[in-house]
Amino acid sequence: MGEQNILKVNPLPTLTWNHLMLNFANMPLEEKAQVKADIPAEFNGIETGMGGEFVSYVESHAGSVQLIRAGKGEDLGVIRDDNAGASAEVILIDAAEDSRVTFYSHVSGTKANGTQATRLVKVIAAARAQVTVIQSQTAGNDTMIGDDFGAIIGDEAGVHLIQVQLGGKAAFAGGCAALKGYKAGFTEETIYFGDESRRLDFSYVTRHTGKKTTTSMLASGALFGNSDKVYRGSMAFIHGCSRSKGREAENVLLFSPTARNRSIPLILCDEEDVDGQHAASIGKINKELMYYLQSRGLTESQARQLAVESRFNPVIDEIPDEAVRQEIHAYLERRMNLD
Amino acid sequence: MPSLSGKVNETVEDQRPEIQGVNSSIYDFRYETHASFETDAGLTPEIVEQISKEKNDPDWMREFRLKSLEIYQKTPVPNWGPPLDGLNMDQIITYVRPDTPMRGKWSEVPDDIKNTFERLGIPDAEQKSLAGVGAQYDSEVVYHNVKDEVARQGVIYTDMESALRGPYADLVKEKFMHLVPPTDHKFAALHGAVWSGGSFVYVPAGVHVDIPLQSYFRLNAAGAGQFEHTLIIVEPGAYLHFIEGCSAPKYNVANLHAGCVELYVGKGARLRYSTIENWSKNMYNLNTKRALVEDDGIMEWVSGSFGSHISYLYPMTILKGNNSHMDFTGITFAGKTQALDTGAKVVHNGKNTSSHISTKSISKDGGICVYRSEVIIGKDAIGAKSSVNCDSLMLDSKSRSDTIPAMDVRNADSDVGHEAKIGRISDEAIFYLMSRGLSEEDARAMIVSGFAEPVAKELPLEYAVEMNNLIKLEMDGSTF
Repeated sequence: MGEQNILKVNPLPTLTWNHLMLNFANMPLEEKAQVKADIPAEFNGIETGMGGEFVSYVESHAGSVQLIRAGKGEDLGVIRDDNAGASAEVILIDAAEDSRVTFYSHVSGTKANGTQATRLVKVIAAARAQVTVIQSQTAGNDTMIGDDFGAIIGDEAGVHLIQVQLGGKAAFAGGCAALKGYKAGFTEETIYFGDESRRLDFSYVTRHTGKKTTTSMLASGALFGNSDKVYRGSMAFIHGCSRSKGREAENVLLFSPTARNRSIPLILCDEEDVDGQHAASIGKINKELMYYLQSRGLTESQARQLAVESRFNPVIDEIPDEAVRQEIHAYLERRMNLD
Repeated sequence: MPSLSGKVNETVEDQRPEIQGVNSSIYDFRYETHASFETDAGLTPEIVEQISKEKNDPDWMREFRLKSLEIYQKTPVPNWGPPLDGLNMDQIITYVRPDTPMRGKWSEVPDDIKNTFERLGIPDAEQKSLAGVGAQYDSEVVYHNVKDEVARQGVIYTDMESALRGPYADLVKEKFMHLVPPTDHKFAALHGAVWSGGSFVYVPAGVHVDIPLQSYFRLNAAGAGQFEHTLIIVEPGAYLHFIEGCSAPKYNVANLHAGCVELYVGKGARLRYSTIENWSKNMYNLNTKRALVEDDGIMEWVSGSFGSHISYLYPMTILKGNNSHMDFTGITFAGKTQALDTGAKVVHNGKNTSSHISTKSISKDGGICVYRSEVIIGKDAIGAKSSVNCDSLMLDSKSRSDTIPAMDVRNADSDVGHEAKIGRISDEAIFYLMSRGLSEEDARAMIVSGFAEPVAKELPLEYAVEMNNLIKLEMDGSTF
């Protein structure tokens, strides 16, 4: 790898004690010749989870953008990202009123070109539009992953983000949803897998400004080896977003005495008439469950794999490509087969 | 009843003259300052030397103060938390010695100081339900007494200055700012430089102190700081309940409280540390509290934060010993002009350690509540368990409530759980109570009292009543 840029990414929306090292993350990316992408004005200024430095890096290195426009009432079906694995790529989705689009991008160990793969997806979802974005990766141990997302969501529109972060030397990922419209909705599902010395670093933010807006953020992960993970999940209820609701939950299974898990789920609230809840559960796998599975003839490794996949499968099943789903299952089996 | 207000039988209007348009409150009375000595405002090596000389410090303490001042000057103001822009250390008087030596009888305490504590209900409380009392007025302890039967058990309860020179001097030297070193943060360094007053408690092994000890801190002088140091050592198998109260009259200039509490809980010992804090709303309350718990020890915190303009308060527990345990129960009520940043920290280092943090916060009338915490499970803390539960209640849309909990888990054989909820009083609950004959105001007050009940039940009855009175006073006139 040549010269590196150290970017400040995944900023916490409000600061806390510096010694926790959670206020932001440092992400090394390659210093390359800049080939700036031409970004339509309406997509400028959309906040993302990974923050301005990452956005600026990707936009100035991508060279071009994939612009997906769904016209009023149009259903584009599933659009597959043929450029996945590029060093830097920008995808912009403009979903007009009542339109529908699913964008799907997968980076595998064989697809990543070189030592980094960064993806930036920005979405504008107009009234009643439905947009689903799926970013998955099973990159090799030498690849730096950056997956960022930002959306502006209009009246009664729904945006669904799925991130499947299973490989890479390090994976930085984030998402931000600005719920501006009346009854705008955002759901986010993340699964992550850490082994060897993989570093995983996440930051998700939802900003509720519209009335009766809803958020659901669910993260589930498994940490093996010397992996080190940080999860930031923040819901901000901004004055005026009355009757809004937010739910956030993270479940982490720890399988190694040398893995490290850090979680910081935030609720920021200056609106009285809201309902926000978050929950986190971090710990070892249930001993009774392991005993039961082994008493039924599974090896310890198989039992572990079953426990992890049972949590991951509902998310993996949403990937609209059977071959990729198979690839992910094979990847997890290979990674978890420690017998 | 050991009322902190001393006026619990009066009507709300009597207790809250500001309801009638007068800007005053039950804690907001003051006497003219008759200091026998006070430093100039500001913070310089000369002022620190002067404090040290006035207090007749041993040499090591004088050096410790000067070293702390150096650290203070090098350490930045926190870049997180509520703004501290209104706090100008050049205008804070760090040492104000009241015009009296420490007394062991209330009758010997000068009238204005005695009247202050009588209005706060302290002598009455001492007679009825406490094993000992320490009362600090500005920078020095003016009254200290412990009941004979407790003293006969070998319990030492004295002011810090006496402890620094008495038979426990070596122990104090060994423990003083050992748990909270001046390098911990800027205001810990400030405390190290200018600390004065506070209490030293030593409970010998196996001694169970049946009724609580209490220290009460009153800051009377305008524009002054209070920097008391509390050091408690509970030896193996012993038990103590220590209660801390604090208040001040309101001034138009900033006052500062940067106390420090260090608690040592021995093997199999148990310490309960209860605080009802009701500083005036011009106070910057930047307090540091920390406990170290040995094998099988139990640390219990009960913390009520009602006063101050700005608070940074996160009692921390280090569960060093195997099977040690910590419970934190807290409530924070932020009203107009207040930004109260409170929470708790726990570090699990011993095996099979456990902790439970339960907090409630209420924000009203533009008040800001921030719950901030950290739970750290160390590499060797095999079998550790921690659960955190925080509930926030917003009483209007002018207010703000943030929840910022951090968890850092470094071993696989542990369980950490966290839950947080934020919301408002449901219209259905108000409607139901009103249909049963309550006014809207009473219905809201009842629901808020119910919300705070898990904290109230952890306090001695008299203090729970006092806390409910504080909530009722804060809730008064809160229909909207």
